[in-house]
Amino acid sequence: MFGYLLASLAEIVRPAYLLPLSIGTLAGMIGGSLPGVTITMTIILVLPFTFALDPLQGLAAMTGVYVGGSAGGLVTACLLGIPGTPSAIATTFDGFPMARKGEPGRAVWLGTWASVFGGLLGAAFLIGATGPLAAFALEFGPWEYFSLFIFALSMVAGLTEASLLKGLLSGAIGLIVTVIGSDPIMAVPRLTLGTEFLRSGFQFLPVLIGIFAFAQIMTDLERMGGNVAPPRVEAPSLAVSHLSVIREILSRPFLLLWSTLIGVWIGVLPAIGGSAANVMAYDQAKKFSKRPEKFGTGIPEGVIASESSNNANVGGSLVTIMAFGIPGDAVTAVMLGAMIIHGIQPGPLFISQEPRVAYGIFAAYLVAHPVMLVLQWLGARFYLRVVQVPKSVLIPVVLVLCTVGAYALNNIIENVYVLLIFGVLGYLLVKFRFPLAPLILGVILGDQIEVNLVRALMTDADPWLFLTRPLSGGMLLASVASVGLALWQHRRQQRMGAAAQAGAPDTDF
Amino acid sequence: MRRFGLPLVALALVVVVLVAASAGLAAYPDRPVKLIVPWAAGGDTDAIFRPFGPQLQKHLGATIVIANVTGASGTVGAREAKNSPPDGYTVYATHDYIHSTYYTGVSDVSYKDFEPVCTVSATPSVLTASPKTKWTSWQELLGDAKARPGQITVGATLGSTSHFFPALIEKSAGIKLKYVSYEGLAPRMNAILGGHIDLTDSNLTQKGKVDAGQLKFIAIATEKRLPQAPSVPTLKELGVDVVYAVTRGLVVPKGTPADAVAKLETACAKATAEPKFAEDMAKQGTAVRFLDRKAYAEFLKRNDQLNHDLARDLGLLKR
Amino acid sequence: MISRDGIAGLVCLVASLGLLALTRGMPKPALVPIGPAFYPRILFVVTAVLSLALVVTDLARRRRPAVPPVRYRLVLLAFVIFGAYVFLLPWLGYRVATFLFVAGLQTALEWPRLRWARGLSVALATTLVTYYVFEVYLSVLLPRGRLTGF
Repeated sequence: MFGYLLASLAEIVRPAYLLPLSIGTLAGMIGGSLPGVTITMTIILVLPFTFALDPLQGLAAMTGVYVGGSAGGLVTACLLGIPGTPSAIATTFDGFPMARKGEPGRAVWLGTWASVFGGLLGAAFLIGATGPLAAFALEFGPWEYFSLFIFALSMVAGLTEASLLKGLLSGAIGLIVTVIGSDPIMAVPRLTLGTEFLRSGFQFLPVLIGIFAFAQIMTDLERMGGNVAPPRVEAPSLAVSHLSVIREILSRPFLLLWSTLIGVWIGVLPAIGGSAANVMAYDQAKKFSKRPEKFGTGIPEGVIASESSNNANVGGSLVTIMAFGIPGDAVTAVMLGAMIIHGIQPGPLFISQEPRVAYGIFAAYLVAHPVMLVLQWLGARFYLRVVQVPKSVLIPVVLVLCTVGAYALNNIIENVYVLLIFGVLGYLLVKFRFPLAPLILGVILGDQIEVNLVRALMTDADPWLFLTRPLSGGMLLASVASVGLALWQHRRQQRMGAAAQAGAPDTDF
Repeated sequence: MRRFGLPLVALALVVVVLVAASAGLAAYPDRPVKLIVPWAAGGDTDAIFRPFGPQLQKHLGATIVIANVTGASGTVGAREAKNSPPDGYTVYATHDYIHSTYYTGVSDVSYKDFEPVCTVSATPSVLTASPKTKWTSWQELLGDAKARPGQITVGATLGSTSHFFPALIEKSAGIKLKYVSYEGLAPRMNAILGGHIDLTDSNLTQKGKVDAGQLKFIAIATEKRLPQAPSVPTLKELGVDVVYAVTRGLVVPKGTPADAVAKLETACAKATAEPKFAEDMAKQGTAVRFLDRKAYAEFLKRNDQLNHDLARDLGLLKR
Repeated sequence: MISRDGIAGLVCLVASLGLLALTRGMPKPALVPIGPAFYPRILFVVTAVLSLALVVTDLARRRRPAVPPVRYRLVLLAFVIFGAYVFLLPWLGYRVATFLFVAGLQTALEWPRLRWARGLSVALATTLVTYYVFEVYLSVLLPRGRLTGF
């Protein structure tokens, strides 16, 4: 195993791979700094550029975006108090006050180094756990996969902050999207209204791009009107003693480890993204701290907890995607799409069948951290200026890239129509406050749920096997429990005061 | 600011006109040729046409752009190819699935919608068993299948080549198998390694796993044993009269000018003769097999009838 | 009174019942134990039940969160311009359509304080850079116009 890893590391640092990796990391950091452009969006925008690369080059670039994005959000979070991505929300709590107290360099570099340590610890987990988990996943028959997918869906739906009903309904809409078109077994046309266009169904990438890009861009436009120029900010000096910052982090090993573990665990769980990890880690850090009252005033613990957890989270979601072939969140959903486009089917056999690519991804994940460090050192001040690109310029360019991405996926114009249709749908869903995460997971898992249901029944006609096979039955039970738990929690929250919910932000994806 | 507007518009127009002029008419081929592969990059078919692309490009003298037009068992790509303008700039990489998906009603595109250009390769099918089965030879498998009719599971893309190959064995050996839908070689390998299916159709690319004891090759569907796998018996020597290979070739939409087809055919002949291509194919468990357009036309016609009869025998015939 | 949750629920309910009706008359294929209509039907019934529950809870709720006023003018305009772009793409070809789209959408977003030079140069740069990167460097063929052949 270490032989493979070393060989892959040696391969990744060759220019052919290091270049796409670095460009990806840079793109991720820029995208991460831009408020309103999430990591998911950045990955979507970078994806078409990787179509023509060899699979490992493409995936190295995507891994770079993922790692860079998780770190890039922290510059704007610390210096402007605006989280560049949802995964940097908790970084603003202490990073921004720290910067305002005259220590911008300390805030940014505490965050950066915490990202590096969190990421590397996450990588250790990724490399150690993927193999055993994949071996375990090989034992999964169609019954177990079916139940696992149902479990993933019900958990995401239950976790949404809005109503449980809307979470479940959103997941169901996602599943419906996959039902339209030829059925996955014998390609009988379903619900096509006799049209050729619907017969081939909806490819999930244009659907994903449409839903995410438009939900975000159009909500931005609502707030735009009047052509408000973004604030002019002078980039402050970020000079700081790196040694003392590193010492500050390493002198809190428990905090670092615990935040990393939270990040990894949230990443492993299907479909809860980095935006949950950083807030949860921050919350935990506060609970365990000897001075919880100081949180929010600009203390290092807050920054360390948030930033180490969101980068570790990347490692955790890569485990789930590589061992089970299930995306951990929207970002990994696009990563999964990218792998499939590059002809790689993640799943139990991925590591043993494609060791070069699998270990290549591990190596890319490891190498992306030092690359990110260098880029942060070179360009932290520059990312601040990116925020000042006017939306009126950014939005058309982003939409063109979305269009090219949808088209280039398999070179047919129909995918661009799909992009538009789901753009409208995504925006409507946001307006009606439906959470988008369950929908996306539904779109991704839909075909697999049906295929595994049919496979199970073709292998053995007995439907009770779903319940009597221990793993499968256990997971179905867990799905019922997770919906029940969510229901109970929502009830309790409602009793404790519904008034607090009214001010919730409009963007919940 | 305003005074820059006009010059910029003018500049844009000039660029537009210049590029438009350069895209004028000339002798075939004067622009990139799109090679439609109806499955994802990295699949079996893609793995064969990726190394073929550069060879064809060299001998055709035009850039070959491989476009993976995927979806619905390869029928999205078939439809896209059929609806492309017949100008020689769209070439469609196909295999025997074009007949089977037509007759099983999966697709509405027939081989008659295209002009054959040439065949490129033939990949012999290998009957492969899960390591969790107890059979070590065809005889044991046969005995077990006779004892438990309809109990042995086979993973296959229903209505496609991986379904028709075991179906031929079933017919010839007089046994009954149970089919489970697993589309694509990768999911079939996952399932067979985990023991969730007993048998499947695969090819010599899986030899590494057999050597590692993760899979068992039962028999190969060639006329004679192959030098790459001398220990794998042929179905013929085991008394099962089945010879089956997936033949991949190039076709163009009906109505493509004859001189374009002829140029493609010549380039294809030279490309398949490249030693580098043969080397790449050996890695894919595949033999280079060139047929010119006339021979390919006959091959398609014969194969079409064969697939029609098979679909009828399996009860899958829809037209 | 019904609020937007209830409206959304009603729309989903009607849609799922409509889709359920469309699953009638699908063929039962040989070999597969359950037909192509089996799974969708379960799905539509589940969706219908969930939608109905959403409508009911909405009607039963007394307190309603206030909806902040939103300006939809730009959103609508952006959708229309993007729709036109998607429609014109196969007719005008990637390069012409993209140039027009980027210039047009920028104009719409910046109206009435236009910056012509920046707008046109961004449009031109976006078009040419994406075109050359994809077509020449990444060998992804972008749509050619049916009207322009370009």
